[in-house]
Amino acid sequence: MFNLVIGQYVPLDSYVHKLDPRSKLVSVFLFVVIVFLANNWITNALMVLFCLTGILLSRMPFSFIYKGLRSVFIIVLLTFLLNLFLASGGTVLFSWGWLHITSNGLFQSIFISIRILVIIVVTTLLTLTTSPIEITDGMESLLNPLKRIKLPVHEFALMMSISLRFIPTLLEESEKIIKAQAARGSDFTSGSLKSRIKAIVPLLVPLFVGAFKRAEDLAMAMEARGYHGDTGRTKLHQLRWGWRDTLLIAAVAVLALLLIFARN
Amino acid sequence: MDISFEHVTHVYSPKTPFEKRALDDVSIHIPSGSFTSIIGHTGSGKSTLVQHINGILKPSNGTISIGDFVIKANEKKQNLKALREKVGFVFQYPEHQLFEETIIKDVCFGPMNFGVSDSEATKRAEESLKLVGLPSSFWHRSPFDLSGGQMRRVAIAGVLAIRPQAIILDEPTAGLDPRGREEILSLFKDLHKNLNMTIIMVTHNMSDAANYSDQVIVMDGGKPLMADTPQNVFAQAERLRKVGLDIPESMEFLKMLTEKTGERRTITAFTLDETADAIIDILNGGKEHV
Repeated sequence: MFNLVIGQYVPLDSYVHKLDPRSKLVSVFLFVVIVFLANNWITNALMVLFCLTGILLSRMPFSFIYKGLRSVFIIVLLTFLLNLFLASGGTVLFSWGWLHITSNGLFQSIFISIRILVIIVVTTLLTLTTSPIEITDGMESLLNPLKRIKLPVHEFALMMSISLRFIPTLLEESEKIIKAQAARGSDFTSGSLKSRIKAIVPLLVPLFVGAFKRAEDLAMAMEARGYHGDTGRTKLHQLRWGWRDTLLIAAVAVLALLLIFARN
Repeated sequence: MDISFEHVTHVYSPKTPFEKRALDDVSIHIPSGSFTSIIGHTGSGKSTLVQHINGILKPSNGTISIGDFVIKANEKKQNLKALREKVGFVFQYPEHQLFEETIIKDVCFGPMNFGVSDSEATKRAEESLKLVGLPSSFWHRSPFDLSGGQMRRVAIAGVLAIRPQAIILDEPTAGLDPRGREEILSLFKDLHKNLNMTIIMVTHNMSDAANYSDQVIVMDGGKPLMADTPQNVFAQAERLRKVGLDIPESMEFLKMLTEKTGERRTITAFTLDETADAIIDILNGGKEHV
């Protein structure tokens, strides 16, 4: 259950944790875009360097980052192999039957793997250092201009933070129900496909009933505490843009410029 | 069906930052046909302990034997389904496991899973619903229309319909009013008496543990601290207090009374009648009362 590191916040005390979520969101977004500018050794090295600096500043143990990467390892490996054998051009390094590995193919597959890895690393770093509440707060604030065209930004943000908040609760709940139904002889792990699908009903019905009940309770509790939607609502944790946030955006901008100049 | 634990250890999420040793070298014995209560502070390993008895959790180390079944650590292929037919489990808030369209269908779910025929399952379901005292006018309604207490009784009937030889109760009375509590507990007391069913109950209520059981196991930090008759366990108020537990109210009262009157004996009494007799006995200075 705890294997899922993407989306798991680790509260530590670091510069990256203390950044305004808005600056982190914007820079991660920009980074993911400019990653596609890199197409040679220098530019790729620059991106890796940027990621490493981020990890070091966040004080996040490398093992946590590694756990996040492990889940996408297969995808990276697959893309690597596909590019390795399918890309053509340059000198042939190795050939066996109809399989050829060319120098271009090798470089390209390495670059693409790096590209996927750095994207995963920065997004993992974002979720590891920013709590879900902060992320939704930041999103809400960034999307605020859209309220002018009558988009319910606040409601979307609230829906998002509530669903994020209840993922662990639902996981816990389903574990309990699985145990209870297993004690009544239901079998989730063996038998034909049909019998397995049938075995899910006794899990899903109680899970949904519980979720609806919880939603009602939550709505009541929110109203009892005076929630009345967006207008006139103040925040306990105000977002504050500091000089470090400006620095981060500037760093990403400089990285973009460097990439533009150093690429082939 | 005797139940015994030999050097059982259970570790949650081993080799991760969340690693937790919930049971630590536990060796206990629960005789067939006994009513055993398991008490202990939150996080003392009570629930983990009982979840081993029907194979929901497997030991990280050690051996558990339940009648003819033996569960060893690191052994994969085990016939857990046959074990679960013998050992029923009523989880905390069991009403959360209801899912069928009608009450009777939900109660049939257990027996049908164990390969009982339709007609036999219905027969058992009716029998169990009668046992828990739910009038037949309800049987074909949806379980979600019932009150909380009624839902719990349906869920308990769902476990009874499997006809287990032993039944595990994890805080069966949590969230019930005093009357509902009384009803549920006397139901299990009757099952214990009339059908000689082995009952294992996890509870936070010291009076319930004292009143209903013939063995009390006290858990603390994943180890069994005491395993004895309620009289002997609750006579050791200080030791219990050290691990965050109380003694039943009747015992508390008698203890204060004996301290005031200078009585030297330790007197144990749990029910109202016993307590009244004990008070008269103390006030008479140990003489026979008339």
